[in-house]
Amino acid sequence: MRIAPAVVRDHDRDLAHRAASGDRGAQRELFLAQRAAVHHALYRILGGNRDLEDLLQDAFFEIFRALPSFRGDSTLSRWCQTIATRVAYLAISRRRPQPVDLALVEEIVPDDADTRRQVMMREAARRLYAALERIEAKQRVAFALAVIDGRSLAEVAELTESTVIAVKTRVWRARKDLMKRAAKDDVLSAYLAELGGGS
Amino acid sequence: MTEHERLGPPPVEPLSDVAWSRVERGLWSRLDAAPTVLMQRPRRWRWIRITAPALAAAAAAAVLTVGLRGGAPGGEAAPTRVVSGAAPTSVTVGDVHVTLDANTAVVMDPAASALLERGGAWFAVAPRGKRPPFVVAAGDLVVRVIGTRFRVARSGEEAAVEVDHGLVEVQFRDAKTRVGTGQRWTSRRPTEVTPPRVAEAVPAAPDAAPEPEIVIEPAPLPAAPPSVSPPAPAAPTPPVPPEPRLPADRKPAPKVDRDEAAFHRLEALERRAPATAIDGYLELSRRSSRWAEPALYAAARLAADREQPRARTLLEIYLQRFPSGANADDAHKLLGHLQGAY
Repeated sequence: MRIAPAVVRDHDRDLAHRAASGDRGAQRELFLAQRAAVHHALYRILGGNRDLEDLLQDAFFEIFRALPSFRGDSTLSRWCQTIATRVAYLAISRRRPQPVDLALVEEIVPDDADTRRQVMMREAARRLYAALERIEAKQRVAFALAVIDGRSLAEVAELTESTVIAVKTRVWRARKDLMKRAAKDDVLSAYLAELGGGS
Repeated sequence: MTEHERLGPPPVEPLSDVAWSRVERGLWSRLDAAPTVLMQRPRRWRWIRITAPALAAAAAAAVLTVGLRGGAPGGEAAPTRVVSGAAPTSVTVGDVHVTLDANTAVVMDPAASALLERGGAWFAVAPRGKRPPFVVAAGDLVVRVIGTRFRVARSGEEAAVEVDHGLVEVQFRDAKTRVGTGQRWTSRRPTEVTPPRVAEAVPAAPDAAPEPEIVIEPAPLPAAPPSVSPPAPAAPTPPVPPEPRLPADRKPAPKVDRDEAAFHRLEALERRAPATAIDGYLELSRRSSRWAEPALYAAARLAADREQPRARTLLEIYLQRFPSGANADDAHKLLGHLQGAY
């Protein structure tokens, strides 16, 4: 667990205390300060902004509910992301796999190399998240945070309130499952290899 | 896309300012509606134990806990989040009975409020007397109620209210409207109040979560009591147990046998410990066996015998769940009798 510097801890604790006591100004300050981090964590796990508004609300609601328990052991940002990760996990473990129609996007190959790269990346990411829809929720969360978002296993373990060993196992299993699903999909297979999820 | 270029991780696309405004507005609304939730004792989350079956069990446990608390009206219980799974479920908190649709989440504060996080639910609220109105919040919607039975449903930012009987005050943002018996209100036309239709869907907001479609289905109304017959008898008849089923290919599940045995034990317990019997009947009524129906009626009848306000609520729930149940006629009569008493 990364220990936050004293000055950050004090600021975070003070803000958390004021927000927990019902100070709307402090609550708004916390919301504005943490919304990017919370959004980032949710986006990485869910793979897009679809459905995200409700989940952001849920995440911040849970954050405010849990504020009295914030002790400042980690930064407020990390602590909020832990709760956001939990909310994302609960959301994907509750819902059925989302149908993703891979035929919806046409093969666009623009002349401009940069644009072409962006189009290819979007398509590859879409296929990746479509495949992730089919794998177990914990594995998906671990894979998204560790492989797609590039976080360390220790950090993912902290965010998922788990152990490094468990995270490592989940990432390994997710990778294995994804590679199986990517066997007939060159785009996904190549993208997984590039992200380090296919090696 | 024949040859692979290095693409890197997909970018995190920002949320629009409008979307952030919606999130923020909804968040403050939820926090305002559940102020006591904020300062409750922190819960320690157990990530490892949260699996799908565990979630279902936790939801069931929450339902059970809340239901048992309901046996002690006025008890000081902390706000509790109740989540239904794939099937509808019912809980009793104090003297408020809530029937949740599938995939619905409600935070119940036994003091006087409920926060509908998602989905839809029927709320049956006993007359409040001198107590403050019961309040249900759903996003920007606030419903205040003195004593009635009504339904609130939400899908994203859209919300709908339907009143079975009684009168509620609906506040949506700055506008207030009163919705009476048989009327319905929707946030799409917040200034209008219309009589209910048989079924109408609340469309999901654009790009909304793939929540189950919310269908407003008015609860089956009790059949009109015969105009010439007197009100319900003072001593209602005992519940009619389910008829024995024809022998199936295989033996009945042991659970059903246990439920039958439990029902008979509770019958024997009625005279000695009626409160315990009611709690037991209610627990039995939450199960899916055929003994749920007589158990729910027995709980309502016993509550009526003891002049508990929740008797009406339980009877309404009974008639909603089992409109053609073996005890439906008696439930109608008893409910009519109780309605005359209030």
